[in-house]
Amino acid sequence: MVAAAFHPLGIFLFGLGGGFALPLLHRLGKGWLAGGFFLALGGIVLASGAGLLRLLAGEPAIEVLTAGAMPPVSINLRLGLWEAFFAVSVNVTALLGAWRLWDRLRGSYGALLLYLILVMGIDGMIMTRDLFNLFVFLEIVSIATYGLLGLSQAPAALAAAFKYIMATVVASSLFLVGSVLLYHVAGTLNIDELIAGAGALNRPMAVAALLMLLAGLLIELKPFPANGWGLDVYETAPGGIAAMVSVGVSAGVFFALLKLSPLFGAQLGIIAFSGAVTFLFSNLIGLSQTRTQRLLGYSSIGQMGLMTLALGALAQIDAAAAAPLVIGGLFVNHLLAKAGLFWLAETLGMEKIDSRAGLRNRPLTLALLGLLIVAIAGLPPFPGFWAKWELVMRLTAAGAHQWTMIVLVGSLLEAAYMFRWFGLTLRHNTSARAGHVDSQPETDASRLLPPLAAGLLLLAAGGLAADMAGVAVQWLFTPLLAGAILFAVDSVLPGRLKAVAMLLATLAAGLWLIWPITGIAALFANLLLAGGVVIAAASLYRADARPGFYPLMATLLLAIMTLLRAQDSLSFFFSWELVTLASYFLIARSPRASRYLLTFLLFSLAAAYFLMAGFATVAANAGALELAALRLPGGEMEVAFALLVAGFLIKAGVLGAHVWLPGSYAEAEDDMSAMLSGVISKVAIYGLLLVTYLAIRTGVKLELAHVMAWIGLLTVIGGALMALRQQDFKRLLACSSMSQLGYIIIAIALMSHLGWVTALYLVANHLMVKGILFLGVAGIVARTGARRFVSTGGLVRAMPLTFVMMCLAVVSMSGLPPLMGFGGKWLLLAAMMEQGWNLLAIASLFGTFLGFLYMIRLIQGLFAGPRAEGQEQVREASVFLLAPQALLAAGIIVLSLFPKLLFEPVSAAIDPQFAAGLVWEGMSLEKIYAAWNPTPALLAALGASALLFAGFWLLWRRKAATGGLPRFYAHYRMVIGRSLPPVAIMFWEGVAAGANAVANLARRPYTGNGQTYVLYVVYYFLAVYVAGGGWSALTR
Amino acid sequence: MMKRAFAVLAVALMALVFMGVIGDYVELQALRPLARHYVTEVPAQLGAPNVVTGILISWRGFDTLGEVAVLFMVAASIGLLLKKDSAGGAAAGGRDARPPAGEIVTTGAMVLLPLIFTFGAYVIVNGHLSAGGGFQGGAIVASGVMLMLVASPSATLNTALLGVIESAAGVLYVCLGVLGLVLAGGFLDPRFLPKGQFGAFISAGAIPLISALLGVKVGAELSVIIDRFRS
Amino acid sequence: MITGIPVSTILMITGFGLTLTGLWGMLTHRNIMRIIISFVLMGTGFNIVMVASGYVTGATAPIIDTALGLGEAGARAIDPVPSALVVTAIVIGFSVTAVMLAFAIRLYAAKKTLSIDAFTESKW
Repeated sequence: MVAAAFHPLGIFLFGLGGGFALPLLHRLGKGWLAGGFFLALGGIVLASGAGLLRLLAGEPAIEVLTAGAMPPVSINLRLGLWEAFFAVSVNVTALLGAWRLWDRLRGSYGALLLYLILVMGIDGMIMTRDLFNLFVFLEIVSIATYGLLGLSQAPAALAAAFKYIMATVVASSLFLVGSVLLYHVAGTLNIDELIAGAGALNRPMAVAALLMLLAGLLIELKPFPANGWGLDVYETAPGGIAAMVSVGVSAGVFFALLKLSPLFGAQLGIIAFSGAVTFLFSNLIGLSQTRTQRLLGYSSIGQMGLMTLALGALAQIDAAAAAPLVIGGLFVNHLLAKAGLFWLAETLGMEKIDSRAGLRNRPLTLALLGLLIVAIAGLPPFPGFWAKWELVMRLTAAGAHQWTMIVLVGSLLEAAYMFRWFGLTLRHNTSARAGHVDSQPETDASRLLPPLAAGLLLLAAGGLAADMAGVAVQWLFTPLLAGAILFAVDSVLPGRLKAVAMLLATLAAGLWLIWPITGIAALFANLLLAGGVVIAAASLYRADARPGFYPLMATLLLAIMTLLRAQDSLSFFFSWELVTLASYFLIARSPRASRYLLTFLLFSLAAAYFLMAGFATVAANAGALELAALRLPGGEMEVAFALLVAGFLIKAGVLGAHVWLPGSYAEAEDDMSAMLSGVISKVAIYGLLLVTYLAIRTGVKLELAHVMAWIGLLTVIGGALMALRQQDFKRLLACSSMSQLGYIIIAIALMSHLGWVTALYLVANHLMVKGILFLGVAGIVARTGARRFVSTGGLVRAMPLTFVMMCLAVVSMSGLPPLMGFGGKWLLLAAMMEQGWNLLAIASLFGTFLGFLYMIRLIQGLFAGPRAEGQEQVREASVFLLAPQALLAAGIIVLSLFPKLLFEPVSAAIDPQFAAGLVWEGMSLEKIYAAWNPTPALLAALGASALLFAGFWLLWRRKAATGGLPRFYAHYRMVIGRSLPPVAIMFWEGVAAGANAVANLARRPYTGNGQTYVLYVVYYFLAVYVAGGGWSALTR
Repeated sequence: MMKRAFAVLAVALMALVFMGVIGDYVELQALRPLARHYVTEVPAQLGAPNVVTGILISWRGFDTLGEVAVLFMVAASIGLLLKKDSAGGAAAGGRDARPPAGEIVTTGAMVLLPLIFTFGAYVIVNGHLSAGGGFQGGAIVASGVMLMLVASPSATLNTALLGVIESAAGVLYVCLGVLGLVLAGGFLDPRFLPKGQFGAFISAGAIPLISALLGVKVGAELSVIIDRFRS
Repeated sequence: MITGIPVSTILMITGFGLTLTGLWGMLTHRNIMRIIISFVLMGTGFNIVMVASGYVTGATAPIIDTALGLGEAGARAIDPVPSALVVTAIVIGFSVTAVMLAFAIRLYAAKKTLSIDAFTESKW
């Protein structure tokens, strides 16, 4: 009896028997009703779960025969691995959903039985092997949905439900007629027999019948633009019900499509196209959506579109082997994340995306929301990430670039509106009116349980998907593990103790991670780990709890280490996305950064998608994911190079794509700014170095490299000019970072031994310099509370140590002797001359001059002149800020005195990359450095700078201006402001406005009129009919 | 007007699609193997002269069970949707104010009701022998109920009892299915009772039993639905 | 033998004609009751088409009685499957109609109108 209960047939016995019995139990009492309901639902979960376990143990698919006869005489059902996976996922989600919906369901046995039979119906759609039985289950699911939609009393909800009914009735009528006509042609309703004889189904009537079936299923999946009825229901239904429609009902219909897809061999293109259009447009329209549930509706429809696209496209390119990971991953990702988001949005009462949610004080809720949004955006470590990666790899390998593009663009759009929502939940309670303390307590744990369970299941599924994606190395997950452990104690330990724990964990795990790394990566690893830990140690200067800061910081630093250790592009990309996400959430901690948060994320993700496309192109050409494959000579590597370089350059913040950089660097928390500029920016540089291996092997390398060098130079000058314009000294430093990274890009673009050595040298220099400057500024901000030059000045006596340290850094950065920046700058000049890029060399000198200007401005504005009002009592900065600065300064001094310490390993690491035949023929760096006398060039450059300065000074004097240095800067700030409008910002704002305008246009068809929606549905069928060859079958 | 033009075009195009289907339609000249199997084996294996009922209750019994679930859910859905109205005082007052039916209707109902119920019962229990079955008979019974309600608007149905009946019938149906699983070849196999003499009233295994349950259930469900709409 | 259009083709034309009528009605009538009736028409039309598709030339209903002996059933019965399916389809059609009507009552109670154009609260 027990064994029978756990047979898959038990799903239907529990579902129907339980459903029929509920009204009787209702008469016995409330306890009986609740007990019976959960017993039946639990029974369904157990029956499907037991089936899944049996299948996982290697048993063959479980056949469920009915009425004691074999198919096709009687209806049969099947529980194979696919079916069991879908059924168990849906059932578990349904169980969680019932928990979430309990307040609404409990009151009426009608609602309970509808819910129960709905779940059973979805399982039936998944398991049945009879076409007409599939229709019956489709109707069971539909009617249960209609009834549950009636739970809501609001007129808008009722109207939406009526529209939903009209559209789905048309769709299911098409399905019904299609299946009966197919029976007329084929003489059977058994799906296996139909598939076996699919080749013969080419009579006009058979084609029409198939197209009716296909259109019926596609319409049920809510394709653009025939989907307004679905959106209205998502918007107005109670969250728990909308979740069930979004993930449960859609799962059933999608599985039906999957099951029948062998019948649609000739229509795979239509399936893929329909999915692609839906994915792209739902996500586009989502951009201009403000109501939360409708937003989630667009995302739901988009996700279904993506799955449909994957289904059609993978079958088209004969990559069915990838289906379990791609389709299974996307499915379970959407199922859990979307259900969780619907539940959470309802729990939080967020009707609009900018509703005051007060999440900043509820770290657990906030973390959960963040987790679910990260999952839905297809970012690591969730199943959607692995699935999307595999999908893009397969599509690119098969040359289906149009689909790749749609997948990536659509994903970016979806991330845009999902993360906009996340950003808004953060923003709102910081704008709380003065005196209003947001004291909302942490959300009630029992209400948080279903989305929390969804989140945990997502993590587990992510691990599984990673395994399927072929991730063989466990260390890849160290950052997440460390983050999770620290998060667990985050609300327990006091602030400074957490900082110490984070530092120790990062250092220990980091050392363990970077142990086996060799070559250039090892250099970066040592440098970034040391620099990262030193800068992270500065966080000790704040004693407050900083919820979330320490776990994220550990994740961030360790993810950089796994990135450096990665041997294949998947591990690299995984770590890359982790770095992006950890930085995003760390920046998000600062309320001031909220304006820049979304820009930061979108540019980061755009960069990431360029990388994904690039890696996919490499893999398609080289047939391997190993990063070493970058070095193999391949066919069409130019495209790969261009894509990868574009991605890394965006992330490096080059001029044009820099708009994300100043805001997020400047407005992050003060010690985080140091981390961003000092450490994280170097990750993009490492990537750039990595792909230039590729370029070296391609024919067009020098043209592309030359372009890259000019981009770097423009960034140098653009960043410097922007820095000169700033009145806010943190922002000045941010722009200066951008400018300095430009030099490194030039150095890499040189593609020579000397160039690369310089690049690494500059990386080390910039890390230490910017670490000191941002930490110094952090101290000034902490002591004075000021961020603008007008409200600072004369701090030299109050903060002498900070002054000394910052002066040291400025000197090193400007390339003045005797500090290490000097070596770097002149090496760069030498390398450029050597390459014959004289124009570039001269232009970069101009950039250096501008650098002098803004650095002088920084020191002068902060430390010289009169003390600002009210700052008489200012003390020296905290020792916790000074100590890391001192360490970094010591690093600068040591490396300035003993450059060999750095040059030797750098040179050794680079030699293998420039083997014989390449530019420098293994000449040792020591020799270059010793042999080349920089003094004349230095003197010339200094002289030129002095001349330029004198010229500008005179020009200013001629304008009859008086006053000292501050006036001089003010004048040129104005000149620059007038002559250099923020073209890039205007351009990107235009892009955003354009996207919004297109989105507004694209949603015009959604008039809200049910009749119009039916018309769309009819036309959708007609379109499928024409595209599917219905006409031609007729005329034949 | 634009919308109307689009509607005309849509209907015209759909007409073309349907014409295509009709154009390719060829009337069957003989039964295909599966249909032939049904026509010969329903009488032979199940002992039911009415092949359609035999198929519906046994080999496609899973569909029928689903269909019953659909009806059951409709009754529940309508209960959810229209509950508020019947609970409201205004609706109750409206019912009292309803004018009595005319003489002809009342008398007609008195004459017809016994006939209708008898006919319904006949159709239900003879489903395995002649045209008819649980659904058809249940619908006839429910139409009788409707006539009754029209004839005497103030009459109230004992919906609670009907609800219990429909649930109990449903549970019993599932139990009969399980009996088939335990005693015969599989879930919903009606052959756990003896086949009996072909064409006799008590024959064809559990088919008449299931048919009767269906009839009771459908009749009760439809009556409840009608009553809900009345309020 | 009478030549001409076979009887089941006539039924099919009728069924599809009814379907088109229903389609026309649901796309042009504003009143929700009329739209629901149009849905019923469409469903009925499809049901007729389905029944027609099971017809076998010159055959009779698949019920073994005096008109159809046991032995000749295989040769003279129509295909019973579409008939069986239609029973299910009719019940489901009825169910959908009932639900739609219940929603119509609720919609009327909410807005005191049955015009489909009045129910466009949610859009875009």
